[in-house]
Amino acid sequence: MTHSAASAKGVSKRFGATCALDGVDFDVRSGEIHALVGENGAGKSTLVRLLGGVHRPDQGEITVDGHLRRFANPHDAISAGIATIPQELRLVPALSIAENIALGDPPLRRLLGFPIIDRGRMREEARTQLGQLEFIPDVDLLVDQLTFAERQLIAIAKALRKRCRLLILDEPTAALETREIERLFAVLDRMKRQGTAIIYVSHRLDEIVALADRCTVLRDGHVAAVSQRGEFSAADLVQAMTGRAAADFAIEINPHGNTLLEDIEERADPIRLRANEIVGLAGLLGSGTNRVLQRLFGVGGTRSVVRVNGERRLLANPIDAIRAGIGMVPGERRLGLIMNLSVRENIILPSLDRLAVGCILNRAAGDQLVAQLMDLLDVRPRRPELPTSALSGGNQQKVILAKWLARQVGVLLLDEPTQGVDVGAKAQIHALIRDFARKGGGVLVGSSDLSELARLADGVLAMRQGSVTQRIERGELNENRLHAAIDG
Amino acid sequence: MPPFLKRWNVAGQVPLITLILLCLFTALMTDRFLSPLNLTNILVQSSIMAVIAIGMTFVIIGGGFDLSVGSTVAFAGCVAAMVIVKFGIVVGVLAGILSGAAIGFANGLIIAKLGVNPFITTLGTMVLVRGLVYLITGGAPVGDDGMPSAFIAFGSARFLGVHYLVWVPAVLVVVLSFVMHMTPYGRRIYATGGNREAAYLSGVAVERVIASTYVWCGALAGIAGVMLAARLQSGQPTAGEFYELTAIAAVVLGGAALHGGEGTLYKSIIGVFIMIVLGNSLNLLNVDSYWQRVAVGAIIIAAAAADRLRLRR
Repeated sequence: MTHSAASAKGVSKRFGATCALDGVDFDVRSGEIHALVGENGAGKSTLVRLLGGVHRPDQGEITVDGHLRRFANPHDAISAGIATIPQELRLVPALSIAENIALGDPPLRRLLGFPIIDRGRMREEARTQLGQLEFIPDVDLLVDQLTFAERQLIAIAKALRKRCRLLILDEPTAALETREIERLFAVLDRMKRQGTAIIYVSHRLDEIVALADRCTVLRDGHVAAVSQRGEFSAADLVQAMTGRAAADFAIEINPHGNTLLEDIEERADPIRLRANEIVGLAGLLGSGTNRVLQRLFGVGGTRSVVRVNGERRLLANPIDAIRAGIGMVPGERRLGLIMNLSVRENIILPSLDRLAVGCILNRAAGDQLVAQLMDLLDVRPRRPELPTSALSGGNQQKVILAKWLARQVGVLLLDEPTQGVDVGAKAQIHALIRDFARKGGGVLVGSSDLSELARLADGVLAMRQGSVTQRIERGELNENRLHAAIDG
Repeated sequence: MPPFLKRWNVAGQVPLITLILLCLFTALMTDRFLSPLNLTNILVQSSIMAVIAIGMTFVIIGGGFDLSVGSTVAFAGCVAAMVIVKFGIVVGVLAGILSGAAIGFANGLIIAKLGVNPFITTLGTMVLVRGLVYLITGGAPVGDDGMPSAFIAFGSARFLGVHYLVWVPAVLVVVLSFVMHMTPYGRRIYATGGNREAAYLSGVAVERVIASTYVWCGALAGIAGVMLAARLQSGQPTAGEFYELTAIAAVVLGGAALHGGEGTLYKSIIGVFIMIVLGNSLNLLNVDSYWQRVAVGAIIIAAAAADRLRLRR
């Protein structure tokens, strides 16, 4: 099948002074998985939102099945058969699976002449839709009892019920485990064979190489490349996205120094971190990797007794941890930043007490520190007075790192430090983490991106059900080895 | 927006522009508005509300809400009046302020430590404290006859041509703006109101910060209560009714965000002036008092709606 399910011709979109898209041609065919990649700010989201009816193009036109369409709102797009599955799923947690799938357009029957919801048919339809995805749960379960991956399938089933021609997935695997990703890919493959057109937006290039029939690379609002399956590799994509050859990461192994952080109590997930060392934590969702990071920062209702730099410390809350010289970059950016405050305020927040003379803040010293760190971390734009909400994801993540560098912590706990960050910023963040370790710091990093751990860490602790099951050293560290260790 | 408007940050000065337009309009419509007596009246009326609004701004920037300030004003005024009669002015004034701070401390403890919703907590203390006022006073005004002349003078005399009552918020706003902007404590209030969880993970003792904002609010309502007692020459158990609503409206008119993390003390005071000048203006224009209420309510909603529209863009 080669006819175009949806296309954009010469679309442009400006937001204020920034040109998000400039004369972009794009089309997706029925029965095709078309990947859309690009760095943050390249225009992926804007293009997807134009197709989904969220925004209207300033110039150019959108056609669906060969007909010109002008969507006034997302509802128009949905009626035209375009369904978008965003990163943050729009489901109602307090309703059941069947109710969520039927939401907005439930099957009705008449009782004494009044229309009421036909619950039997609603359940039946939900089972049919989910059956197509080979997911057979109890459809009366409330959605808030489901895992993220299951919710995603519910969202897809909901789109299927609306007879969608074009399914748009925005970073669908960002929060999924390996097995769940495999199941999702199987679902997408089946939908494709049934003739659905699929647009797949992702930062994970290896997935795209494995999955996509075609790939469009956007750069600065323009189409940088369009290639067919088999014609592109992950390295080609990086080059098209950034305009420069993929940086190869020279890995140097630091000689490890003294023990910085060490558990004293007997426990199933003991941690020992030395100076100059980057230790990875690998495990499936629920294996306890993020619990380790939380407890070492004194959050999550746990108290850890540890030795930091040879000194016994009780970590009961973040204040204890920060005093002991530990900083944490949380897995969710909204927990790391106060979005309405400026970049400057965010960077100096953990260091306010050190920047005070008596009880008065030394603004000049603070400004100087912030300027230094923004240069060092290449935070863009270089404007400390901007609210952090105005920054891209990669730059926000750099600001969170800058907070702890400003505080001069010795130990960094990182939870998914590059999730949802584009390739360029990812490389910069990795370089910063290595630099921090080289200068004598210790880093504990939890990540579901095993290739990231394989590249970054000196040693990886594999975890299962709250316990550390083995430690894999640098020499034998690779992605397959890690997969085997955590999947068991 | 044209660049020169952006440079002057016109969007941030909407409260001030509104106030100026309101004054111009009233001055053109009636000749009594600019009379020295009327202007002095506006200043004195605004002074007590300004002190309350400063405290309310602390709480709202910290992400909270305080409905109990009106009752606190009455409580502090009556306590001050009762103590002054027995132990003198200094002890009495301190007792008034401390009783306000104590109510704020109780609010803060319940809201920050127990995690009870601020709206419900302060709705409770609003009613409870008003009850206490009637209990300690028996419902009658306190110190009607026996207030020392120095205290009464504080409520009516002037220093350098300006009422003492007006000096109080003027000094407070300068000192407390400094605290808000130039101390770690002040920045932590903004951080906590902006995102409590992220502030906690950055090492801010958020519970203590939140509780402290209610102590400020209570103590400042206590000061306002003492000021009102001096002006009324007695402690009035019915004083301060609906003050909480005027104060909250003024803070919102001054551009503070009810979701926390945003707001400026001096702009809240501009908000107070808008509320007081509006009332004054409607009076001078002989607008029916029932219609005045309708107008004030509509303007509060319009201000909040304008703020939402600005954020959406």
